[in-house]
Amino acid sequence: MNLAHLHLLLNHVPTVGYGFGIAFCVAALLRNSEDLKRASFVVFFAVALAAIPAYLTGNAAHFVLQNEAGISQEVIAAHQNAAMLALIPMEITGLVAWMALWRFRAWTVPAVLALSTVTFALMARAATIGGQVRHPEIMAAGGSAYAPTWPSPAAVGAQFVLDNPWVWPICEVFHFVGLCLLFGVVLLVNLRMLGVVDGVPLADVNRLLPWGIAGLGINIVTGFLFFLASPDQYTQNAAFAWKIGLMSLGGLTLLYPTMFDEEPASAGDVMHAPGTRKTIAAASIAIWIGVIFLGRFLPYIGSE
Amino acid sequence: MESALAQLEQSGLAVWIRESGVLYGYPLILFLHTLGLSTVVGISSAIDLRLLGFASSIPLASLEKTFGLVWAGLALTAATGVLLFIADATKHASNPAFYVKLLFVALAVVTLASVRRRVFRGQQRGTLAAAASLASWFVALSAGRLMAYVSEFVS
Repeated sequence: MNLAHLHLLLNHVPTVGYGFGIAFCVAALLRNSEDLKRASFVVFFAVALAAIPAYLTGNAAHFVLQNEAGISQEVIAAHQNAAMLALIPMEITGLVAWMALWRFRAWTVPAVLALSTVTFALMARAATIGGQVRHPEIMAAGGSAYAPTWPSPAAVGAQFVLDNPWVWPICEVFHFVGLCLLFGVVLLVNLRMLGVVDGVPLADVNRLLPWGIAGLGINIVTGFLFFLASPDQYTQNAAFAWKIGLMSLGGLTLLYPTMFDEEPASAGDVMHAPGTRKTIAAASIAIWIGVIFLGRFLPYIGSE
Repeated sequence: MESALAQLEQSGLAVWIRESGVLYGYPLILFLHTLGLSTVVGISSAIDLRLLGFASSIPLASLEKTFGLVWAGLALTAATGVLLFIADATKHASNPAFYVKLLFVALAVVTLASVRRRVFRGQQRGTLAAAASLASWFVALSAGRLMAYVSEFVS
């Protein structure tokens, strides 16, 4: 299996996920159900994380297909362009959904519903064009119809980095700022869950979480600028693939502390039981150390 | 001074770190340096944010337990920093960004120690110290990250 195969698997996650997410969100509004609301937010945040490897493996798939006969490069370019236009609102939806899970506000439900509907339309467009890469029978009017006409944020981002020599170093600085913010909060919140830090209610230490999410956001943006400027350097590196996989998993662990504010009320509450909590807390710290490790070793391992 | 640095750079350990090409050499030291610094800067920044009024319901006393981890992180960063320095002693010693980094790391560490002494004992609110600490860490991180670019520029 190569990353192109992985792309064919991962690219279904946003489509299917959004189907469930939007259904949960509408049902939550109709039945005024707290649980359904939270379920839809969890789905949107998880999809925002899974969409990153979905996009990145798409570049790897492009690399595999670049010299293949019978594949239209115009369709691939249009698909990549459409995918980035869907990815950006998908990440914003995920961010708002996470904020709503952390501290619920009434406006977040309609906001998430509106954002996810727009994202779904853009994603459906990306998926339709993407399907035509391998299925010429559903191609509307030949490949030339898909010459990129919509603005291409990926190309703009790449050009921005390549044209301005100061952008890469500045992004490196902020990638470290984001890393420190995220790792510091991950340590404090999870050390509290492990009981190393005590004398503070979980609800209070959880108030630091948005700073960790801010760090993650900074690193996703700066990381994407690195990737867009030099995609082949990363898609051809195994350490990078593992780093992104671990990062998505690490992102999911940031969801867990939003699910409870207090010590578990009942002994039967498996999800919030001390054992479960300590396992997830230790795993979260280990995963993020792994992400840092792979990021640092990326230039030394992984490439042929 | 020059010759002492050059000698340091030619020592067996320095040559091994720089040229052995093994993953448990330079790359591992660089990773441990990053792990140490992100622990120190991350926890220190979280304490600063708490002093600046975010998550203000966290009792300071509960954060005092994290200082052990901070000092351990600092020791790891310093030890690996020494190893990274001797591997390229003459290059780093002629790099202005390196001195900026050292200065601001020193400022940040002094600030952190004084926060623990004064603010954690309730003698001061520590808003100013927190802002100074965040700014110092930012300058130190930037200077450290930009060292490679500055060294290209000055040579």
